[in-house]
Amino acid sequence: MLLTIAWRNIWRNRRRSLIIMTSIVVGVAFAMLTDGLSIGMVQQMLDNQIGSHISHIQIHAKGFNDNQVIQNAIPDRQLVERALGETKGVQTWSRRVITFGLLSSALNSSGGLIVGVEPERESAVTSIAASVVEGSYLSGKPNEVVIGRRMAEKLGIGLGDKVVGMASALGGDVGSDLFRVVGMYQTVSSEFDKKHMFTSLSGMQDMLEMEQRVLEYAVIVDNIEDVDRIAKELRTTLGDGYEVLSYRDLMPMLVYMVDMYGQMMLVLYVVIGLAMIFGIINTMLMSVFERIQEFGVLMAIGMKNSAVFRMVMAEALLLSAMGTAAGMLAGVAGVLALGAVGIDLSLFAEGLNSFGVGAVIYPQLTASSILSVVVIIPLTALLGALYPALKATRLQPVTAIRYV
Amino acid sequence: MEVIRLEGVHKTYSDNGVPVHALRGIDLRIEKGAFVVIAGPSGSGKTTLLNVMGALDAPTQGRVFLESEDISLKSKDAIAAIRLEKLGFVFQAYNLIPVLTAMENVEFTMMLMGIDQQKRRERAMEVLGELDIEELANKRPNEMSGGQQQRVAVARAIVTNPSIILADEPTANLDSETGANLLDLMQRMNREHGLTFIFSSHDQQVIERARRLILLRDGMIEKDEILEP
Repeated sequence: MLLTIAWRNIWRNRRRSLIIMTSIVVGVAFAMLTDGLSIGMVQQMLDNQIGSHISHIQIHAKGFNDNQVIQNAIPDRQLVERALGETKGVQTWSRRVITFGLLSSALNSSGGLIVGVEPERESAVTSIAASVVEGSYLSGKPNEVVIGRRMAEKLGIGLGDKVVGMASALGGDVGSDLFRVVGMYQTVSSEFDKKHMFTSLSGMQDMLEMEQRVLEYAVIVDNIEDVDRIAKELRTTLGDGYEVLSYRDLMPMLVYMVDMYGQMMLVLYVVIGLAMIFGIINTMLMSVFERIQEFGVLMAIGMKNSAVFRMVMAEALLLSAMGTAAGMLAGVAGVLALGAVGIDLSLFAEGLNSFGVGAVIYPQLTASSILSVVVIIPLTALLGALYPALKATRLQPVTAIRYV
Repeated sequence: MEVIRLEGVHKTYSDNGVPVHALRGIDLRIEKGAFVVIAGPSGSGKTTLLNVMGALDAPTQGRVFLESEDISLKSKDAIAAIRLEKLGFVFQAYNLIPVLTAMENVEFTMMLMGIDQQKRRERAMEVLGELDIEELANKRPNEMSGGQQQRVAVARAIVTNPSIILADEPTANLDSETGANLLDLMQRMNREHGLTFIFSSHDQQVIERARRLILLRDGMIEKDEILEP
């Protein structure tokens, strides 16, 4: 019955209750949209990095990550490939040779990473083939090269033009080769596009005198949630001579950013909750002051202070729960709708691209976002109702009954 | 059998620092089943005395025994429990809970006592029936006349069979006919169920029905007489 009274009391002053509920709805919906947008943005950064080059897991010879030279080749390819074949959850993988080198055209030169890949395998691992905007992706023939549009602009070259690639070969000499540009790609990261060029694995191995040696295995797993488990299994299988790194290990800053955004959003929810507290305090105080005589009667007929306290708190909880539910519905609908069509931020495309984010952001709905709303907003409302509820319990029935 | 006893009760208020002696050494004993009216001019201390007997106000000095239990020094919660279980109140302004129907208002005290919903609903309907106001069961206070509201207030006061029903000027806001009907009803409850009624009033028609009349003046009992029915 206390809940019934609380519920009916809320609607005694319909306008006041609707105003406070509307403020909760707007606050919750706004927080969820901001949260969804931020998570969508950092997730896109992460996905783009994984999709363009990093992959879920990379396998190298031990020490390669600290000293990225071609001398640190994978010691036993068969062992790695057998392990990849036998580990549950591995979807696909690709062999790579990567080295820092110099690419020169007739007009200009540019340093960057020359990546030798097997086109078919690499297409299943990264999205570079799908990011080709002019020409085509590698066909597997030697001496083809696909470069970023930004790099092509810098070198002043176009499709079909020739470039010379140079890098330190295994024996210590400078290895070089002539490549023909067959395609130009464009990812959402302008920085990536400036630095990476792709050619065939065999061509790279020849140029660097590496025979069949490979420097890196890029691995994609079925479910990203299993990355740590799969990496651990591969580490165990391959032993000490190898380093198996997940994208978390390879991009600690980005992963940290994702975590940090989660915490920032938590702070946002708390700030919105705190802002809401004053509305709740005001509403509940007015509600208590309007009903002083009623509280006096309730106490006179035997209602204990604790029950009076619970009744006021129940009113605040119902009020905030309704506002939170409606706000959450609006927020979820907004995030899902915008998540489907995306938010076009072309106006800031250049800035976003330098951070590895596309011009269209797709807000994402996360369980933590819903949980934060469900827990924080009603909790702060209860916090706001504490003072009015205590005020009500401090009334003296004998004076409260006569209050006009 | 004694239901309430006051021994040397004083009540002093402070009015902007000036002490106001509302009650000055009240000694009083009321028996179960009594129909008592406390009368007196304004400011004589009628309502204060009723509040002290109803455990709504604590005496500054002296002791109050309800069914032989000293309630003068009880904690707030214990006092609330006593008011819930042993006392019924009828106020001048009816004071029903506006968001509850008549039935729910009557049920309310039983809900506070932890009685389950079916039992309290049956009991509430029984009392509403006894007071001939079953048809008001689903109406809210703003849909009832003053007389109807006061009848519901009486129903709320008697539903838990309290030791005493304290009525502070219950007819003050009613026309004389409605007031008379209400008093008829209370008299019937007193006669048929042996309920103890203590009124504070200066309404002549209330005073006329008293079986015991206590006259207060300046916070002291001026006259205490048993009247013939």
